[in-house]
Amino acid sequence: MTRTAHFFSLRRTVWAFAIVWLGAVTMLHAWMNLGLFAHTASSRSQYRFRIGFLPVTCHLTCPVTDFINKQQTGTSMFDPVRFNGWPELKEAYLSGYTPATFILAPMAIALREQGVKIKIVYLGHRDGSALMVRKDSSIYHIEDLRGKTIAVPGRYADQRLLIYRELKTRGMSLDDVKIVEMPPPDMPTALYSRAVDAVTSGEPFMGQTELDGYGRCLYQAKDVWPGFISCVLAVSEDMIRDHRPQVQELVDGIAASGKWLDTSMAHRMDAAQFVSTLYYNQNPRLLTYVLSTPPDRVKYSNLKPNRANFEEIERLGKECGMLEGTAHFDDYTDTSFAPDDDKVVEQNYEPKTQ
Amino acid sequence: MNGATDTESTDATVGAMPAAPPATAVRASSRGKGVDWPGIALPCGVGLLFLIVWDLAVSFSGSDLFPKPIEVARAIVELIQHGLLLKYIVASLFRVSWGFALAAIVGVPAGLLLGWYGRAAQAFNPMIQIFRPISPIAWIPVAILWFGVSDAAPIFLIFLASVFPITVSAMAAVRNMQPVYVRAAQNFGLSGWELFSQVIFRACLPQIITGLRIALGIAWLVVVAAEMIAVNSGLGFLIIDARNAGKRYDLVVAGMLMIGLIGLILDLLVRKLENFDEVRWGYANRS
Repeated sequence: MTRTAHFFSLRRTVWAFAIVWLGAVTMLHAWMNLGLFAHTASSRSQYRFRIGFLPVTCHLTCPVTDFINKQQTGTSMFDPVRFNGWPELKEAYLSGYTPATFILAPMAIALREQGVKIKIVYLGHRDGSALMVRKDSSIYHIEDLRGKTIAVPGRYADQRLLIYRELKTRGMSLDDVKIVEMPPPDMPTALYSRAVDAVTSGEPFMGQTELDGYGRCLYQAKDVWPGFISCVLAVSEDMIRDHRPQVQELVDGIAASGKWLDTSMAHRMDAAQFVSTLYYNQNPRLLTYVLSTPPDRVKYSNLKPNRANFEEIERLGKECGMLEGTAHFDDYTDTSFAPDDDKVVEQNYEPKTQ
Repeated sequence: MNGATDTESTDATVGAMPAAPPATAVRASSRGKGVDWPGIALPCGVGLLFLIVWDLAVSFSGSDLFPKPIEVARAIVELIQHGLLLKYIVASLFRVSWGFALAAIVGVPAGLLLGWYGRAAQAFNPMIQIFRPISPIAWIPVAILWFGVSDAAPIFLIFLASVFPITVSAMAAVRNMQPVYVRAAQNFGLSGWELFSQVIFRACLPQIITGLRIALGIAWLVVVAAEMIAVNSGLGFLIIDARNAGKRYDLVVAGMLMIGLIGLILDLLVRKLENFDEVRWGYANRS
């Protein structure tokens, strides 16, 4: 009898603790992280969608558009979802969780080759990539990279095409260097600790090596491949079919934000502050630096997909084994949403500090 | 109870896992309720020594990338000041609690049944052993495709990481149970559900709790991997996010430290279960 009573005591204790614990931790999570109990503006009846992005300058127009929308109307047309790596971003798109996403151009083309219903509707940026070596390194020319280890962001990174293009013009090939894949946030440390000889990715991680005093730029994308494209805005064909006005609104918003960023350095400095603190969780000095030093390090104008640019990516991608070459410009782009550059109207928003 | 001999080596390994009596309980009962000062001072001393060695190692290395203990302490204060530390702890606890609870709800009954019914074990055990060694990181793409980027995906990963140790330890507990308990109970006329709940479950409790302890450790271990998915909160997210934030390795180590400390607290909580008489009964009957 005693044991039976004790047994129920244990059972009751475990069940009571488990229920109270799960209930408490669920309520706290809902309150502190999900904001379920917060008073929110009544949800708009129109279609809302999620858009994937990474905390890099190539995707800057995404948080800028979201922020300005919220400043102007109190809400945004989309929910930006920040990822920490390309694979997760791509998988979220494939699962339908993010019907729109900023993505590497060759990755979008490769997905199209594999039968994924994806369309590039606009570019994320121009330029904004660099190849960095250590300040004390003996690498001063592309030819000096022979036999060296270079970190790139991934298999479908445009920076890999950039290296391939530069090596090719000097009669070299990718076999002359050792390419390793590495998440861009880890690149500055890898360069600092001499784990690799050179790193290349989008900003702000290349600028970070300069700011911290151990990185030296071997080349900027703008200098060796003017108008370089790394990331694009892509949406699913289902979204284009079912929610065409929202796709148009999205592209117009991104285009207006790009124009806004390129119109004035004050806009860029304002964006560096609010994007760093509200979206990227980075020290604002990083974005401040890469958006201003030099001012044309990364550009957000002339973002309508251009056939010649993409055909060059296709050709280089096929040559270096990145792409199959089975998808072409008309297969993976839909340029009907993209305004001509001279018709883009910048965001009607001025920084509050001015 | 019978059959499934192909799995006995694996189960024996699990079965041989800590079967020692709960040291704190035994000590408390033998020495009375006085404060165990050496039990407090010794680990504190080792912790202090660790901090000193850490600080000196960073100083001698000359690197300004890896943080010193004081910088990590400042990072923790910064997280508290920004109201992030509690939010992130709650988020991680939420995911681990639900993943682990679901694993326990599924794993304990499944393990007991598989341990009792040999044919069922023969049927299911190979599949369990195939799934068991697959790292939760390998499941990340599947989790995103199935659950999107919601809390369900990390909970699913934590569930996967903890359900197999729980199942296997419960299964091994039934297999290793002394047959005399069952024979005695059957002599007293117990059978079916009564036999299962009154005798088998109780006899297996110590080993089940050991399995739960190990599984909880694993569940907490995989929180960083689980939060690599684009959730925007949690201690694992803190570590991954700090890598995006430039040279903020103080935040990375702060996240690691908090995960370790909370893991310790969770383990202490589960060990409290060992103080119950019915659990000690199981230990006491071990040779």
